[in-house]
Amino acid sequence: MPFTATPIVAGDAFDQASRIGEEVDRQLALIDDPAGQHACLRRHWDSLASLGWLAVAMPEEAGGAGGTLSDLAALAGGAGRGGLPLPIASACGVIPYLLADQPALLPGLAEGQHRIVFIPAEAAVDDTTDVPRLAPDGSLTGAVVGIETPPDPTHLLLVLAGAEPALLLLPADAPGISARHYLRIDGRPSADWRFTGVAVEPGWILGRGEAVARRAAEARDLGALLTCVEAVSAAGALLEQTIDYLLNRMQFGVALASHQALRHRVAEMYVEYENLRGLVLQALRAAGAGDGMPWREIAFAKLRLGEAGRFIAQSAIQCHGGMGMTEALPAIRLARRIMMAEFEFGDRTFHAQRLLEAGRRAA
Amino acid sequence: MSAAIDYEAFRTEVRAFAETRCPPEIRAVVATYRKLSRKVWYPWQRILFEHGWGAPGWPKQYGGTGWDLKQRHIFDEVMAECDCPPQYHHGLRHIGPVIIEYGSEEQKGRFLPGILSGEDWWCQGYSEPGAGSDLASLRTAARREGDEYVVEGQKTWTSHAHEADWMYTLVRTSKEAKKQQGISLLLIPLNAPGITIRPIRTIDGWHHVNEVFLDQVRVPVANRVGEEGGGWTYGKFLLERERLGGANVAPALRNLQRTRELLARELGGERHRLKRAMLEERLLLAEAELRGAQALGQEAIAAVMEGRPLGLLPSVLKLGTSVTFQHVAEVALDAVGERLAPRFRPTDAAGPNAEAPGIEWVQNYMYSRVRTIYGGSSEVQKNVIAKQLFGS
Repeated sequence: MPFTATPIVAGDAFDQASRIGEEVDRQLALIDDPAGQHACLRRHWDSLASLGWLAVAMPEEAGGAGGTLSDLAALAGGAGRGGLPLPIASACGVIPYLLADQPALLPGLAEGQHRIVFIPAEAAVDDTTDVPRLAPDGSLTGAVVGIETPPDPTHLLLVLAGAEPALLLLPADAPGISARHYLRIDGRPSADWRFTGVAVEPGWILGRGEAVARRAAEARDLGALLTCVEAVSAAGALLEQTIDYLLNRMQFGVALASHQALRHRVAEMYVEYENLRGLVLQALRAAGAGDGMPWREIAFAKLRLGEAGRFIAQSAIQCHGGMGMTEALPAIRLARRIMMAEFEFGDRTFHAQRLLEAGRRAA
Repeated sequence: MSAAIDYEAFRTEVRAFAETRCPPEIRAVVATYRKLSRKVWYPWQRILFEHGWGAPGWPKQYGGTGWDLKQRHIFDEVMAECDCPPQYHHGLRHIGPVIIEYGSEEQKGRFLPGILSGEDWWCQGYSEPGAGSDLASLRTAARREGDEYVVEGQKTWTSHAHEADWMYTLVRTSKEAKKQQGISLLLIPLNAPGITIRPIRTIDGWHHVNEVFLDQVRVPVANRVGEEGGGWTYGKFLLERERLGGANVAPALRNLQRTRELLARELGGERHRLKRAMLEERLLLAEAELRGAQALGQEAIAAVMEGRPLGLLPSVLKLGTSVTFQHVAEVALDAVGERLAPRFRPTDAAGPNAEAPGIEWVQNYMYSRVRTIYGGSSEVQKNVIAKQLFGS
């Protein structure tokens, strides 16, 4: 029997997420117009909220499920396998992590009414002019690019870096905030955000100081870890679908799967997939074992995702021949998703740099 | 039972032993990639033997430690981390377990003690000029004459034959049966009349492998392990036991660490700042891969201990780790290659340039190419993996 991928964290949540992911991906592929796609995503966002996904990691006393990292990983894994085009890592993981000490916000978050955009501190293009900063008069100026957005965002959760770190939660419709919307290479919605003298009310500032910066860095690593889980699960499904394609696609009277060149390419994909899976499992275990985020394990996993993930995605496209260049097949949508995962929560050079700098410091 | 073992305490004990009991001059050989030979291995095996750790993988009744798989894995890891030589494997890991499993009582009494103490040195007579990956095609023939076999043929790639006492040898005892069935396993003393050993010059400049010619070599029937015609089964048993070899990534990680130190030493100056940064990045990518392999290795050991099937893990580990090891060796070559590769072998010397410090890095790189060839080449591993993934 051909290869079947083993979930990183198996269980009902994984199965459900995987099923829903496939369903949303299928529906979305049939809709042509942007408004229709948007409505489709919004509908599914609401349904995920009603299924309790957004509250999985929230404490029970705040109405959440009090779930563990493992529960989050089950969701992220299922979403990855099904190709669910919604920001699971930030919506279920990063944002609840950053807002854990904001009891007033949690119910709205859990029920899906607060649809929050997470903007990390590193999201400005130009370090000198664009980095969002608060002026002494309390006004916010700056610009960030390429931020994944949930459908109909209600708030922006903005991490300010630099000498005075801060965590801001801004209403998305506050005067002075403007957006330009895009689709990413994996088809998911994103936006550039510009802040032009936004008058920040004191209540929008959720925290200040080094503790905020540390917490934000941990949240980013949590996002990186969940993205790894999502991507490695997508890679497992992609391998299955590529094998299936090669077994069924006939050329010159034989199945493509009979050609050693293609079989070996798939074997190489599998080795990369397994290696990445090993690292992701190890990072998950380390994250579950201690306090805070095991940044080193996560950085190694994300670095490998950059290398292995892209190899797997590119190989899958190559193995599908001309069909690999179209948007028609779920397999290729998964490949695009894996390619995009590289650029979420720090690309491979970001994580490599962290590891190299730590090595230099230790030497 | 394994719940009762304190693995961390065990690790500490092994580390203390390695650090205090392994002589510095032996560890220096490992740390600087000088060639391991019987001269270096033997005293270390003797120390381990006298401590009761001569055979980590053997049952207690034969002088082994009786350790479980995880303890053995920890032992191997710590040895690598401390630059202790990996134990010479042909006796302890290859023919020893086969004799324990299939040998007669007489053979156990005769051969196991010498392996354990390091007095007897073994080598493997498997490959032949016409039988590499396709080992079952071997043609070296053993003809029965009374209580003896008369062996005629040629073995090749025979590592350490030049310093070994014995060769465990696959020979063809029948041409009638299916090619796997006509093979037997003989234990042949290398001082027997009719044996000629010739070194094979390899690209790394080290002498590990030889051709062994067998010309009417008379071997007592008592030196046959198990049944006549059963050799293929015993050979496969040996390979099965070696399937977890790739799970120990510690030597590769140690090699990576040494290479990182080489970069700091060799490329410390401002002139080499960018070169060093580029090479360090390649090492980091290799480290990420090795850490992934390490995680899979732990998964493999857990699977065996819990009686779950290993599936494709051994092939994945072999295929992946061998290539990563080569990448690391390439980084080291790129650090010293400009200086050392052009001066590899003096025209008036038989071996590599002994006057050039660090020449071992070049040798190690050249030697590293074998990793994707031996023990089931990468192409064979990919065939194995693909067959499983595609279901046929």
